[in-house]
This record gives sequence, structure tokens and C-alpha cells, in this order.
Amino acid sequence: MTALVRYHAGLLLRSQRWLAPLVLYAAVLGIGVHAGEPVLGALALTAAALLPVTAWAVRICLTQEPSAARAVVAAAGGRGRGHLAALLTGAGGAGLAGAVAVGTVVAVTDTRGVGPAAAVTAGLLGATACALVGGAVGALASRPFLKATGWSLAALVVGVLLALVAAGSPARQAVTVLTTGSGPGVLFGLLPSAAGALVLASAVAALSRWATARLE
Amino acid sequence: MRLTGVGRRYGPRGPWALRGVDLDLPASRLVRVTGGNGSGKSTLLRLVAGVDAPAEGRVTGRPARTAYVPERFPAALPFTALDYLIHLGRVRGLRGAAARDRAGEWLERLGAARHARTPLAELSKGTAQKVAVAQALLADPGLLVLDEAWTGLDTVSRAVLDHAVRERVAQGATVVFVDHDPRRLEGEADAEYAVAQGRVRPAAVPAQPRPATGRRVRIVASGGRALPPDLPGGTAVAPGQGDATVLSVPADRSDALLAALLAASWHIHRLAPAEADRNDEGDVRV
Repeated sequence: MTALVRYHAGLLLRSQRWLAPLVLYAAVLGIGVHAGEPVLGALALTAAALLPVTAWAVRICLTQEPSAARAVVAAAGGRGRGHLAALLTGAGGAGLAGAVAVGTVVAVTDTRGVGPAAAVTAGLLGATACALVGGAVGALASRPFLKATGWSLAALVVGVLLALVAAGSPARQAVTVLTTGSGPGVLFGLLPSAAGALVLASAVAALSRWATARLE
Repeated sequence: MRLTGVGRRYGPRGPWALRGVDLDLPASRLVRVTGGNGSGKSTLLRLVAGVDAPAEGRVTGRPARTAYVPERFPAALPFTALDYLIHLGRVRGLRGAAARDRAGEWLERLGAARHARTPLAELSKGTAQKVAVAQALLADPGLLVLDEAWTGLDTVSRAVLDHAVRERVAQGATVVFVDHDPRRLEGEADAEYAVAQGRVRPAAVPAQPRPATGRRVRIVASGGRALPPDLPGGTAVAPGQGDATVLSVPADRSDALLAALLAASWHIHRLAPAEADRNDEGDVRV
């Protein structure tokens, strides 16, 4: 699996398609986060903005390989495992950007009442919940479920909006806890969201992995 | 490896591309698949290689190291030829240094060593095909699936691939191939299957070699142990003087027989065309 992730990461880095979502993420945070503002509100934006970025990154990783190259890798490493590696690469890359963003935001905002350590943990939990839900949206909006680019992009946008506003979404819960919470107690509010996102993302990844060799 | 009642269709309500496929693909066999355009032979090869999963039926016993060469290999990947091969070697479980060595070795054998640092996107069609062949061969696959892999290769590379196929079969691999040229590996396939209208059936292939047309090679060898199983088709075995064994094989399969004997640590005493053996001239002593 490590070799497959390295292969997909190599494809992503050399294709430079990672640039657009990363620039978008940096722009949103640059405009939305102000130095010296309360940390939790800024972390809520950091997490929420990571959701579309992860969905986009996962879609890039799932679609960047020509189908014959995908067939070669499928024979070498397994079709399902190759698909899973693409999902992990997209979600992992976005997650890495989210972690850097959390560190930066905590460094420039006001952590009074929370403490830097608790703020970083809260930021990472929130970012994890949003990245996992975003990854699930990206996986459901791409092959093998939606192959035509138009439908895929439309589903991606609708999916991202729903994930941010729908009542049951772990991402929305995490953002709400960060926005309304205060003090280190916010961590306990974030744990169920992160756990729920993990369950959701695992289920979607398993379904997507199973479907790839069957629906295409 | 076996396919049992295998069917494949695209989507849950799509038309069947293949149905009711029962296929036995034992080790050390060269299997040819024939069929017209759109007959489903590429679909069959993708199922065998594990690229696609069957919609019904089961595929069992696929060897661990599987390699597939698609009909058209896209050069549109942002890697150099060497980097791509190293990635694929690692996916097959080779360590970094070993993957690099094998990748370089196969590019060299296929005459593409000077393109090792060329980005795939800048390669000619023929050289891209060499990269596709190299990725399949670099980790000694136990199952090799070739979909028109010879197309686009130059004469020398075709011969290298022919040889590699024989070598893989002699070392116990299953090789399944499609090629538009009926003379490709002619008379060497152990089984031939024809695909038509989504069905697969055995094509008429002579179980025994045609002695009237085929030249034979006589090999005198001794091993002090049992002969390896899975000798090439058409091998005749007779006791010789002392502990020697005399084997006779169609000339075009002598390479495979020699490789099988050497792999089983047998000693080769003599090798000669079957007719010339009597006067002991022109023998090759090993």
C-alpha cells in the first residue's frame, strides 16, 4: 500500500494539479483569519474550508490516471487497493495542508482561555472531521460512481454544501462546536464528530473500493 | 488458476460482454486467445489479469505477481520512463534499489536505455510500448497477460518479448496473450481459446506437435532426480546410456525445455538436431 500511495503522490505532485485547491485554501484563510482574533472561531473556518479542498483533492487523485495506466497498476497491486491508495493520497495531502494551517492559525491568533496545546488539538480534531467528510464527498462524486465530468463536479459542489449545512453531518457538528464552544472543554465536543467522520469515511472508502472493479 | 462461470457486464443492467466462461489456466502454460474486434477478448484478458472483477462467477488461484500489458499504453503520465518503472517495481514488492536495477536492466534489454530519463509524455509510441512491456517483466510475474503487447515494438524488441515469454513459461508462469499476427509464437501455445459473441470456447490446437513439419532437438541430460513437471508440450522422454535420459522436443521449444531442465539442476550432456545426432557431427557439447 505504501508503494501505491507513493505512486499516486508522485502523480499528484508532478501534475501540479494540487496547486489550485491549495491556493484556494490559502486565499480563504488569508482573507478570513485575522491576527489576534479568538482562536476557536478562526479554527472553525480553517476546518470548514478544508472540506471542499479535500473533496477536490480526492477527485483529482481519482481522475488523474489514464485508464490504461490504471489497469496496469490494478494488475500489479490490485484494483481495489489502487483505488484506495488514490483516496488516501488525496485525503492525506489535504489533511497535511490542514495540519499546517491549524499550526499557523494557532500561532497568529489569540489563544487566551484555551491554551495553545488544547487549541492545536481542537484544530486538528475539527480539521480531521472536515477532511474525512470532504474525502467521502469527493469519493462519492467521482469514479466509479460518477464518470462524466459535468455530473461529477455538480455532485461535488452540492455534496460539499450539504456536508457543511445538513443537520447530521459530522463536519457541521465539528464546525458548530468550534464556533460556539469555549475553553479546553471544546475537545470533548469534537471527539464524537471526528469519530463519526471516521466511520462515514471508512464506509464510503470501502464501498468505493468494492465498486471500482465492478462498475467500470 | 481457474475461471468458473465467469460473466462480465458494464453496469448492473448493461449487456453481457462475456458470459459462462469456464477456463483452466495452469502454471507453465502458454495460452493464446483469439477473436475478432469487440468479441470480448480484451474483456477476458482484463478479468484474467484482475483489472476488472466478474459480475458473476469466480476467479480463483491467481498467482501473486500479476502483470498486464494493455493494448495501448498511454504516455500521459508525469514520470520519466525510469521513475515510472521504479514505482511499478515497488508496487510489486521490490525494494527501491532492486526496482531501479531491474528497471534499468529491462530498458537495456529492450533497447530503450537511452530514454530512461525521458518523460513518458515525450516518448515515441514504440518506446512507450517498451516501457509497458518492461513494467510487466521486471518482477518475474507468475501470471503475464499480454493484450497485443507486440504491436508498436521493433523487430528486436519483439524477439526479446518472445524470448521473455518462453522464459516465463519455462519458469512456471502462466502467460495469456492476444496478438493479431497468427504467426506470433506459432505452434508454441499449449492451449488456444476463441472468443466470439461473449462466449469462450477452446479452439482447435494440436495436442501433439506435428512431427511431419517440425524439426526436433535431442537433448541428453542426467539429473539423478525426477524430471521437472510441466515440460513443454511434445517432449518425448526415453532412457539413455547409464543414468542419462534422452529427451526429444520440437525445435521451437528447445529453449523452454533447456530452461526447465537447468532450473531443476539437471546436467546437459549433449544437444543436437535430432537427425544429425547419429553421426555425432555438429553437436553442441555443454
